[in-house]
Amino acid sequence: MIFSTLEHILTHISFSVVSIVISTHLITLLVNEILGFHDSSKNGMIISFFCITGLLITRWILSGHLPFSDLYESLIFLSWGFSILHIVFCFKKHKNDFSAIIAPSVIFTQGFATSGVLTEMHQSAILVPALQSHWLMMHVSMMIFGYAALLCGSLLSVGILVITFGEVIQILGKSNNLYFLNESFSFVEIQYMNRNERNNVLQKTFFSSSRNYYRSQFIQQLDRWSYRIISLGFLFLTIGILSGAVWANEAWGSYWNWDPKETWAFITWTIFAIYLHTRKNTKLESVNSSIAASLGFLIIWICYLGINLLGIGLHSYGSFTSN
Amino acid sequence: MKTLSPLNSSNPCLLKTHFLKVPIFNPIFKFKPLPHNTHHARIAKVPSFTINSKLKSSQDINNTGKKSVSQKIVLSETSPPPLAVDKDDINGGSGSESVPVSSKKKGGVSGLAKKLSKKVLQILSNLSLAIGEMFTIAALMALGTVIEQGEAPDFYFKNYPEDHPVLGFFTWRWVLTLGFDHMFTSPVFIGMLALLGASLMACTYTTQIPLVKVSRRWAFLHSAEAIRKQEFSDTLTRASIEDVGTLLMGAGYEVFLKGPCLYAFQGLAGRLAPIGVHISLLLIMVGGTLSAAGSFKGSVTVPQGLNFVVGDVLGPTGFLSTPTEAFNTEIHVNRFYMDYFESGEVSQFHTDLSLLDMDGKEVMRKTISVNDPLRYGGITIYQTDWSISALQILKDNEGPYNLAMAPLQINGDKKLFGTFLPVGDINSPDVKGISMLARDLQSIVLYDKEGKFAGVRRPNSKLPINIDGSEIVILDAIGSSGLDLKTDPGVPTVYAGFGALMLTTCISYLSHSQIWAIQDGTSVIIGGKTNRAKMEFPEEMNRLLDKVPEIVESSSSQQVDTITSG
Repeated sequence: MIFSTLEHILTHISFSVVSIVISTHLITLLVNEILGFHDSSKNGMIISFFCITGLLITRWILSGHLPFSDLYESLIFLSWGFSILHIVFCFKKHKNDFSAIIAPSVIFTQGFATSGVLTEMHQSAILVPALQSHWLMMHVSMMIFGYAALLCGSLLSVGILVITFGEVIQILGKSNNLYFLNESFSFVEIQYMNRNERNNVLQKTFFSSSRNYYRSQFIQQLDRWSYRIISLGFLFLTIGILSGAVWANEAWGSYWNWDPKETWAFITWTIFAIYLHTRKNTKLESVNSSIAASLGFLIIWICYLGINLLGIGLHSYGSFTSN
Repeated sequence: MKTLSPLNSSNPCLLKTHFLKVPIFNPIFKFKPLPHNTHHARIAKVPSFTINSKLKSSQDINNTGKKSVSQKIVLSETSPPPLAVDKDDINGGSGSESVPVSSKKKGGVSGLAKKLSKKVLQILSNLSLAIGEMFTIAALMALGTVIEQGEAPDFYFKNYPEDHPVLGFFTWRWVLTLGFDHMFTSPVFIGMLALLGASLMACTYTTQIPLVKVSRRWAFLHSAEAIRKQEFSDTLTRASIEDVGTLLMGAGYEVFLKGPCLYAFQGLAGRLAPIGVHISLLLIMVGGTLSAAGSFKGSVTVPQGLNFVVGDVLGPTGFLSTPTEAFNTEIHVNRFYMDYFESGEVSQFHTDLSLLDMDGKEVMRKTISVNDPLRYGGITIYQTDWSISALQILKDNEGPYNLAMAPLQINGDKKLFGTFLPVGDINSPDVKGISMLARDLQSIVLYDKEGKFAGVRRPNSKLPINIDGSEIVILDAIGSSGLDLKTDPGVPTVYAGFGALMLTTCISYLSHSQIWAIQDGTSVIIGGKTNRAKMEFPEEMNRLLDKVPEIVESSSSQQVDTITSG
């Protein structure tokens, strides 16, 4: 009883702290540079990290096994993975660009976990025989860390895509503006117009080039970050899939069954392998690799939630008795 | 530092490149070798070293340098030797896996065939092709989870009819012709995998192996412009290149110094590990092929107390499957039982097995459970299923009778077994009796002739129950254990591939950083690049370069200036 109350309290604290962090982010976005807000958001993330850690530990003690047995617990673990990523990058002293992506991820996963959709899962369940293995810890933790890192990295890539598409649209818009400007000026004396136009164009190109410089640098930064984080996630995903295969060979008698969850994990792996390979080719870099990563973002969600919600295959937990 | 000089004299390869601290401290002597080199080429490549000498030298440097660093360097330097072993694996892999490529290579006695094989290699090692293959495989796999697998043709006729094609074109003809009803064994899918394997080999052979050769020799950059062109570059005024070298060495770099030029690198393993990744993927593919071609599989449900022979259960899956001695083993199920949680739910299934050889002698005995299989002579026995085979009862103190249990309803996770004890005239057309139902081995629910609930009994309680005038005691519920048997010759190979893949993927995360520096008068121009950690690298460099001590005395600086400007 005490445990479940504690669990409730921790859930609510972490959820509200993260929402406060997000609102501070929004405020700093609207009202320029209020000092101390960055620190507060960092502290907020640390608080929520400890809350989620406490939540996981209470569930662990309550159920007597590692809290990986169902979707609710794995979602909480996923948001814990997000926050640990955040903490790691905070300690590496890297701006708040990253927490702008991570904080909403944490709140979405946690919001989804605590929302009504999964209420019947909140009661921690028993572990079916197939899950009673030491491989559970290795396999699930690696998979979830992998998902967390890959989701972050691919979100950064989605960000790149959004920015570059915005740029394309903006360039189009600008040329239109210029055209209208010319039209309106065409009634004015030709000499004057020419001079004016030249000035105008000069100014515009100057502004846009300096803007473009910062923008391209920002895009490059995002790109490099997403590459680094996706490589990390890929590492975890590889270890997770392989340890899962070894486990399956212990429990089900075959290291690969083409079970839907397995297959989708492999598809995810393939997509991010494609991402890593597109980086090798300088022609395909940036935009194409971002497209691959964004595709990977969708596929992770299909793999992680879609298959579980459909409840097909061996990963629906309870497979043993249903045979 | 003096320990370094004997190393140099003992190793003839190293005579040309002086390691750190060897250069003579007189600046005039120091710049003497410079003109010779710059006349020939800007980038002078030092003849490649054998790995042995490189290893030795790097370790010796570590011994003289800071001890805290030595582990780091050893890590990065010990990985090349496995690569030499791995290269043999490629050859082994190409022999067994890709028939098309190797056959073309072997047939290349004439020049045409050689040209053709070269062309094939070139096409196969194309990155865009490989990406396309991966994408196709991913799409096929996705399709394989969308289309129901392994159904009868009628199912596909019904679900993918010709008059209402899915997406306007996709009908059962597509499914059945391309074999999408068994996607993961269909020729299309296997063919794509084989093609990907061939691409992997071609890429490893044409792109990655040459990379090893290139990265084994280190190149000095002799002009300041070339260094400034690097991704990261900086100029340190009033600094000496030796200090930079010492600092880099302290940070775990391999440092090479020749005259005014410095070259340093770190994390070479990170650059070479992708080769290992490819090779381990090939290993896994080979192992998978072996598994598919040479395994035996079978499953059996055995009531407690009965025997079966391994060879009767196992059936071959591929053309390479050959039975072994161990197939004659007879297996006796001593006991099947379950563990329960306090809430009454099943926590674990156990089967106590005895293995008997031809003479009936027990060779092994083990209690298996889910996640804890038995392995004997290449055969693995898994606990995968269960059922209740019989109820042992006493009726009016007669018996014991064994009543066979039948599975009644399998709905989701719940199993239900039932049996029937006729009461009265057995030969009458509407025979009535007592029904007994069980969900597990723990408790039996009894119903009377009318179908009304009569009571619940535990098998071992010995508590009689009186239904319709007859006294019934349930002595025991006999379970049967569902076992899966398997032999798989591919597992060792696959596991080796798994291990190698995990290791090399981890190593691949390391970033290969290269740094060049040149002494230009009193200032040092330093530049560098890295292949992965592009964000962290400049910061790390700045942090390092901040520590480079500033040289205050200016006695010899003028001389240096005149020399370099000339």
